[in-house]
Amino acid sequence: MKIRTIRHIFKEGFVNSYRNKLMSLASIAIVVASLIVFGIFLLLVINMETNIEMWKEQPQLEAFCYVELDNTQVQMVEDVIKKDDRILQYERVDKEQAFAKMRDKLGKNSAILEGYGAEIFPVSFIIRLKDVSYSDEIVKALEGVSGVEKVSYSQDTIEVITRVSHWFKLGSGVMIMIFLVVSVFIISNTIKLTVFARRKEINIMKYIGATDWFIRWPFVVEGVIISIVGAILALVISAYGYSLLYDKFAQDLFLAESQLLSLVEIKDVWTQLASSYVIIATMVGATGSFISLRRHLKV
Amino acid sequence: MVELKGVSKTYPNGTVALRDVNLKIEKGEFVFIVGPSGSGKSSLVKLLLKEEDVTDGEVYVNGYDVSSMTRSEVPYLRRSLGFVFQDFRLLPNKTVYENVAFAMIITEALPKEIRRQVPMALALVGLSRKANMYPSQLSGGEQQRVALARALANNPALLIADEPTGNLDPETSWEIMKLLSEVNHRGTTVIVATHEKSIVDEMKKRVVSISKGLIVRDQEKGQYRDEDKNNQAYI
Repeated sequence: MKIRTIRHIFKEGFVNSYRNKLMSLASIAIVVASLIVFGIFLLLVINMETNIEMWKEQPQLEAFCYVELDNTQVQMVEDVIKKDDRILQYERVDKEQAFAKMRDKLGKNSAILEGYGAEIFPVSFIIRLKDVSYSDEIVKALEGVSGVEKVSYSQDTIEVITRVSHWFKLGSGVMIMIFLVVSVFIISNTIKLTVFARRKEINIMKYIGATDWFIRWPFVVEGVIISIVGAILALVISAYGYSLLYDKFAQDLFLAESQLLSLVEIKDVWTQLASSYVIIATMVGATGSFISLRRHLKV
Repeated sequence: MVELKGVSKTYPNGTVALRDVNLKIEKGEFVFIVGPSGSGKSSLVKLLLKEEDVTDGEVYVNGYDVSSMTRSEVPYLRRSLGFVFQDFRLLPNKTVYENVAFAMIITEALPKEIRRQVPMALALVGLSRKANMYPSQLSGGEQQRVALARALANNPALLIADEPTGNLDPETSWEIMKLLSEVNHRGTTVIVATHEKSIVDEMKKRVVSISKGLIVRDQEKGQYRDEDKNNQAYI
């Protein structure tokens, strides 16, 4: 195919989608909607993953002793921990400290602790590991030490979140597929209408010797234009929406300072968002056009 | 230039349009194909353009073996021909100039060549001054002349016209016929399917008469005979 022919095809595609304004706009709207839904899921997944990564980098365990243990027994537990060279450092949390922590946590509601003393709290050890990969063995080892009631395993939380995010990804995958199929369908319908509107013209082109692809390509271009415009709009809307959300989040001091949760900044993800939008849009547009042309354009 | 050997055409619904037709048209000829509607005249034209496939027999057009060609070759056959329809078939949202140029754009002709060729074709049909008008602003005769210019843009060796004057008044019909004749004098083979007696009789060209799917007469300097008309009455 020669360059001037390609130019002709692009020109026709643009002119046609303009001439077909109303249907083009309707299709663009559908594409924008689908891509935004996709974008929301994508951003959620990205954020979940960064948070999981972050949590994984904090290899913290907390081993709780039985409440009724006396000081010597606790000391025996501490000795075991002290000797383990896989442990980077540890911190002993005494009954009084645990009590004080709880009182702080409850704040105004600390009145419910009235009548109780520090004795109801167990002594615990907050343990930092040299490497996350030890966490499984250490947990097993500590649980085997007499006097240790349980080891709260930050890995547990990570695992739950990882699993939730796995199901979430699967679910959003299904949703995204549905939306993409709908978009393909809508675009193919738009192209069908353009084909019908121009069937006389197509017929004339056939008679004067236009090849099949010379007739078809402008329609493919039209479908791709619709979806690329949709992608650009979707990008603008979702990037703007996300930065609003990000700002709100940053203002929420409790969440922001707890360091339990962090949001990815839009400048770190927009290229990922943009490239997936454009790739998906191009595929959706081209697929929609091809389906329609196969069915309705017997050249 | 054009050769049909033992060509038969039966439509899927059982209608027999052509039976064992043999026809040879040499380079540079001007041939009328006449016959009433339903005679098989249109089917014959459709076979030449590969709009329909033969049921039986062989068709050669412009060096192409039409009867055995694949779908993807059809555009190249059609580019080698000029074609004029009864209903003009111009693109309504393109100007006269663009309509003619379009026939060349699809053949991927050089822009330089298009700029040279289109004005020549328009001059030939006498429409140079209306190059920038749209088909809807032209009379029927003018529109048919645009169609003719488009058909000639690629310098085809063969021009096929199917009822080119069917939608035109007698005077305009004559203008078109004169143009076709002139095109023929320049060396292009011309085939005209028509049922207009006055024109056929006056032009004194070769006349191939088709009736009920058979070639009933093939005469040099022939005429549209009354019996052809009688046939029309039956159908």
